[in-house]
Amino acid sequence: MYKTIFSLALKNALLRKTRALLLIFMIASSMSFMLSLEGLYNGMTKNMIDMTLRSDTGEVSIYAKDYRLKQEIKYAIKEAQSIKDQLQHHPSITSVITRLKVSGLGASATKSYPVDLIGINLIEEESFGEFSAFVKEGNLDLGKNGCIVGKQLAKDLKLRLNAKLVFSTQDSSNTLQSKLLRVKAIVHTTNINIDNKAIFIPKKVLSEFIGVDPALATQIAIRTQDKDLQEELRLRYRKLEVLNLSEINPMLAQMKEMMVVFNAISFSIVMGVVFIGILGVMYVSILERIREFGIMLAVGYSYTNIQIQVIFEAVFLALLGFLLGSIFSLASLYYLSHYGLDLSEFSDGLQSFGMSSIIYGDIQPEYFLRTFYAIIFASVLSVFLPLRTIKKLNPVDVIKADS
Amino acid sequence: MFELAIKNILFYKGRSITTFLLSYISATFFVIYVAFLDGSHISMLQNSLKVYTGSIQIYQKDYRDEGGYDYLIYNNQKIFNILDKTEGIEAYTSRVETFGIVSTQENSSAMMLSGVNFEKEANISELKNALIEGVYNSYDNCLYMGVDLAKKLDLSLNDEVSFVGSAIESSFVADIFKVCGIFRTGMYEFDANSAFLNRNYFDTLFYAQNTSSYIVVKAKDLNKNDALASNIRSHLSENEKLYTWQELMSAMVEAMKVDSIFGYISMALLFFVIFFVILIYGFINISARIKEFGTLKSIGISDRQIDTLLFLEIFIISIFALILAGLSGGYVAYYYELHPIVIEGMSEIYKDYGIISDEIPTSFNLYTIFCNVGLILFLNLLSIVYPIYYVRQYSPIEAMRHV
Repeated sequence: MYKTIFSLALKNALLRKTRALLLIFMIASSMSFMLSLEGLYNGMTKNMIDMTLRSDTGEVSIYAKDYRLKQEIKYAIKEAQSIKDQLQHHPSITSVITRLKVSGLGASATKSYPVDLIGINLIEEESFGEFSAFVKEGNLDLGKNGCIVGKQLAKDLKLRLNAKLVFSTQDSSNTLQSKLLRVKAIVHTTNINIDNKAIFIPKKVLSEFIGVDPALATQIAIRTQDKDLQEELRLRYRKLEVLNLSEINPMLAQMKEMMVVFNAISFSIVMGVVFIGILGVMYVSILERIREFGIMLAVGYSYTNIQIQVIFEAVFLALLGFLLGSIFSLASLYYLSHYGLDLSEFSDGLQSFGMSSIIYGDIQPEYFLRTFYAIIFASVLSVFLPLRTIKKLNPVDVIKADS
Repeated sequence: MFELAIKNILFYKGRSITTFLLSYISATFFVIYVAFLDGSHISMLQNSLKVYTGSIQIYQKDYRDEGGYDYLIYNNQKIFNILDKTEGIEAYTSRVETFGIVSTQENSSAMMLSGVNFEKEANISELKNALIEGVYNSYDNCLYMGVDLAKKLDLSLNDEVSFVGSAIESSFVADIFKVCGIFRTGMYEFDANSAFLNRNYFDTLFYAQNTSSYIVVKAKDLNKNDALASNIRSHLSENEKLYTWQELMSAMVEAMKVDSIFGYISMALLFFVIFFVILIYGFINISARIKEFGTLKSIGISDRQIDTLLFLEIFIISIFALILAGLSGGYVAYYYELHPIVIEGMSEIYKDYGIISDEIPTSFNLYTIFCNVGLILFLNLLSIVYPIYYVRQYSPIEAMRHV
């Protein structure tokens, strides 16, 4: 019995070929357009967050109280080295580094700008965030006075590789000090706080320059997958500030939330309109076949059998649309994730907002799963109104009326 | 034909209502969306423009590319004479900008020190309105300092700071300044790095008489800024270069363009789906009326007249929906232009990105609304092309026999 119903449903679904094809194509193209956009937007946000995690904050960062407000060396973490040593043995921490940052004036031969001089350990930075991947020019062999400069800062100060740069600031004894540096590498992280104003030198050199204990650090950054680590560290280091990315960079967190809301709204609107499309096709398809359903009821088919047939027709069309849409979406997302969307023409503008000029898409199985459920739901829901019309049918009246 | 079209619209209620609602909703949404998109962009640009940038800046050639004292304007008066004779200028003034280290007993920071004529500056920028403490029009060694710089250095009104920098002829400059005024523009980088000194004192200290880093001009009418720029440019020598605000804020303008592109792509997704649904409903409606068209053709109505009939049907439904959408979307755009949405704390979160206001206004622009509504009308008319083609495939006899 069910075999006959399914066979009838398949034939009826494709009876009006143009209409069925239009519907299938509508579902497929809307789905692929929507998923490509979602993948692109998610990829953009993910990339910004990933770059910030790798170049700066990690999943968790520890600062001394008031440091983030005052940004002064006297608010550094005095016992940073011993905290780092403890954390290195923590099972859920994959990498932990310390950084020392001082603000001052950077001057090239022609220009001056306020800059941040950041002391780092290059070997540790490599395992923390693959620092070498940020290098756009030069290499990380710093030598005696070598430094690494953010891309935008290098542009603003007109610095090229091997150019000289003087950094001036107040040291720990409040005396003005200057240091001559030579640019050995230029980095591009898409993190505007680094690209626009950071100069990196070895932490040991910076500690000596400003006359502080090498164990001192302004930031301890941690890479971890453990969501509970922040709370654990908060309890352990009550006198320090233990912050996550959202707290350090609320803009990124808000951007991520906005993307989720935006994608959800787009998804609902598109699926709502797809539902209207399926509803229209199914409604007309059923109304055209009222006599056929009357005959089926007259020869002994139950209303449930007709219901199953109609639902199956709608689901079948929706599934074809979904399958075709999945192929289009996969092709589009594959392209976007491998080759990206090249917006180099707007690179300055994108860079000013901390974005890369090539935006790569992100593929997640959940995109397809969510769309699958929504399309099936929309197709099943779309036949309920037409089915109510059939339910009210009296087989004899219908056959008489149409003959 | 027109009467017949009206009758058909009223007779085929399902298709008419669906097309009307989809057109109305999508057009209203589009008008409001674009109004917010344009409004937020215009607001960001104008805020930046009026705070400090001005609509035109004039430099010595290569100053912006090379920088440094070698590329200053060393004859202000010559350019002032040109500006005095030019129509369309509301105000102009010269500025000298230099960088140095500013220190208290405990803290230091890099600072951009600008020598300005406070009276003239009040007509060009928002510096005067940005005063939050002390006095604006300071004199002698009085500093007008950004609030975030004052915070960073723990400074209050009447506190003293030392400044170290270099004079125009490259000699060493050191002086003690007194904080007489504190300002907040909302542009974080600006408030955290800038201070202003009255021009007479600055000129004496830095040997900067009749010299400037650049001359800033405010146009009477921003819409005529390009014409004004061309006019001034024609009087400048080869050694002077003029930049309009679009060139000065090219990164921001680019970022806005990218944002608009993504905004339009997102809206395109909605239109794409709605276009298909209107197409499907139109197609279903027309394919159910094939017999009717067969009859019309058999009594002498030409294919062209049937095309006109179908075109008129979609046109009439669309035009009603779009007029209503234009009015309701336009009202929302107009209302929120006068009463912008305020999101408390937004400027704080996005301060690094130059957002200086919590307000999100719309832009009420009749031309933009007309274009937006026109685009939806075009898509609606496009959706009838395939159904028209479909009807044309039938000869009168085939059409009348169509089931």
